[in-house]
Amino acid sequence: MLQTARRRQVAAAYALMAPALALVLGVLAYPLGWEIWISLTSFSSRGDGGAAFVGLASYARLLRDAEFWRALATTVAYFAVTTAVKLVLGVGMALLLARPSRGRALVFLAVFLPWAYPGGVTVVAWYWMLNPPLITGYSVFMGNLKHAVDGVFGTGAYAFLSVALFNIWRGGSFTAIFLLAGLNAIPTELFEYARLETASAWQRLREVTLPLLRPYMALAVFLSFTTAFADLGNVWMLTGGRVVFPVIGTHAYWLAVKSGQFAEAAAWTLSLVPLLAVALVFLFRWFDPHEEKAA
Amino acid sequence: MSPRRRRLGHAALLVLVAVYSLFPIYFITIQSLKTPQEDVFGNPLYVADPTFENYTELFAGGEAKVRGYVIVPRVPFLLWLVNSALVLLASLALTLVTGVLAAYALGRLRPPGWRAWRRILFASYVIPHTILFIPLYQVIVRLGLDDNHAALVLIYSTMALPFCVWILSAYYRHLPREIEESALVEGATPATAFLRIVLPMSRNVLIAAGLFTVGTVGSDFMLASIFLLDPDKQTVAAGLGVMDVSLEELVAVAGVNLAAIPVVIACAAFARGYVRGLTAAMLEGA
Repeated sequence: MLQTARRRQVAAAYALMAPALALVLGVLAYPLGWEIWISLTSFSSRGDGGAAFVGLASYARLLRDAEFWRALATTVAYFAVTTAVKLVLGVGMALLLARPSRGRALVFLAVFLPWAYPGGVTVVAWYWMLNPPLITGYSVFMGNLKHAVDGVFGTGAYAFLSVALFNIWRGGSFTAIFLLAGLNAIPTELFEYARLETASAWQRLREVTLPLLRPYMALAVFLSFTTAFADLGNVWMLTGGRVVFPVIGTHAYWLAVKSGQFAEAAAWTLSLVPLLAVALVFLFRWFDPHEEKAA
Repeated sequence: MSPRRRRLGHAALLVLVAVYSLFPIYFITIQSLKTPQEDVFGNPLYVADPTFENYTELFAGGEAKVRGYVIVPRVPFLLWLVNSALVLLASLALTLVTGVLAAYALGRLRPPGWRAWRRILFASYVIPHTILFIPLYQVIVRLGLDDNHAALVLIYSTMALPFCVWILSAYYRHLPREIEESALVEGATPATAFLRIVLPMSRNVLIAAGLFTVGTVGSDFMLASIFLLDPDKQTVAAGLGVMDVSLEELVAVAGVNLAAIPVVIACAAFARGYVRGLTAAMLEGA
């Protein structure tokens, strides 16, 4: 009796999960499979059109390609820089917004906007601020700034900076709101107790608040990870298509669309998989531990 | 530090954060209100003589306008707005309905292997859709959805779904059993108990999932301009994206700004629910 009830419950569960799984698998399974298959062939619009199976040749070439390592380093740097800044800003803004004060509701909305505002216009906004068209009143100033930055850090530094700034601005807003929600989820008694037990606000932050926020920070880092590693559009737009510092995404796009080297492009894209897998393992360890808490 | 100075410092920080958050939006809106003359000679930080030319231009009829030596194409902007709203609402509906069903199954009914399923669904979040657009296009063509809004709806939903299922199922998982049980004892079916009791309770989490979907849809312009080519079917993002000069053209900014107004209003209305929903999903360690 109980068993049939459970069996029916399980059947119902699968039926309810079916639409979501069908949607995700239906849209993504084939593209992933295609990408993997193509990366193992010599498919390219430059060849005679045929796609011969070449095994891991594309990957072998990738590992010997200095361009690849440079793009990978740029991608990792992009992720590391933006994520670190977003976390610091996010924690700061979340703590600021968690404290009751006048005008907090309005500032809260302001912090919410960079993420909620359509990315299409804000990316243009940053582009206009940092790389203005030739004819505006501040073009000369920004041009000088760009050359100063590039002069100190090397060509492409300014472009890197503008992409990073946009990512930080938009993603930092998401991180802040997310961590604010995390702060609210921590029982206030813990903070009250911490106030009695710790000597300074700084010690409280380091020894109580940050450890309690850690799982939420892990999820925020993960979400930031995917935006950085899969970023193509923003890098493309903010550098006006003149990609002076290719990340993996833009280079793969370049290979596929501009020069038709589909196999190569697929190998570039899939080179991100090991990194993403490692990120997932860490995320699940921190955020979705196996031992069940006593509810 | 005296309490007064501390309060002042706090207020100053709040102002700083607000300015930092709003400045780019303010800045580009200012630029979009300038006449060409002021664009060149004016101060970049404010507008002395605002004109709505860029905005009205969007709604002007006709094929094209000649400005100096440049031919400015006219665009069916109203149509684009309608299309954007359709795509957004359909993506929301699809994401939330499939998401709630799956989350309820994963968090409440817990079939064997539910943890793995939940993780698999969430893991699909890392798949970079923009980079996969070539095979994605093949799928869309095979489904007969080429140049169709449904293509974008499907893709946007798969992008937003992992996170939505994650937070919704976390919430359902930690709801006490008793909440439904009393209804079941009264003779309600599980479906009614869910619709009448559990679903309304998860209102804020639904808002969080919904706004996340809005943010996901709103940030895309790449996929939209790849999958919608017919000007009459395009969304604002797609249409302005293929104007090709979008970065140099303030009409495009005006367009997205207009499209942003309802989104911003919705966000302002639901922002509090968004945070509450995320908090509710995070309680007890998500």
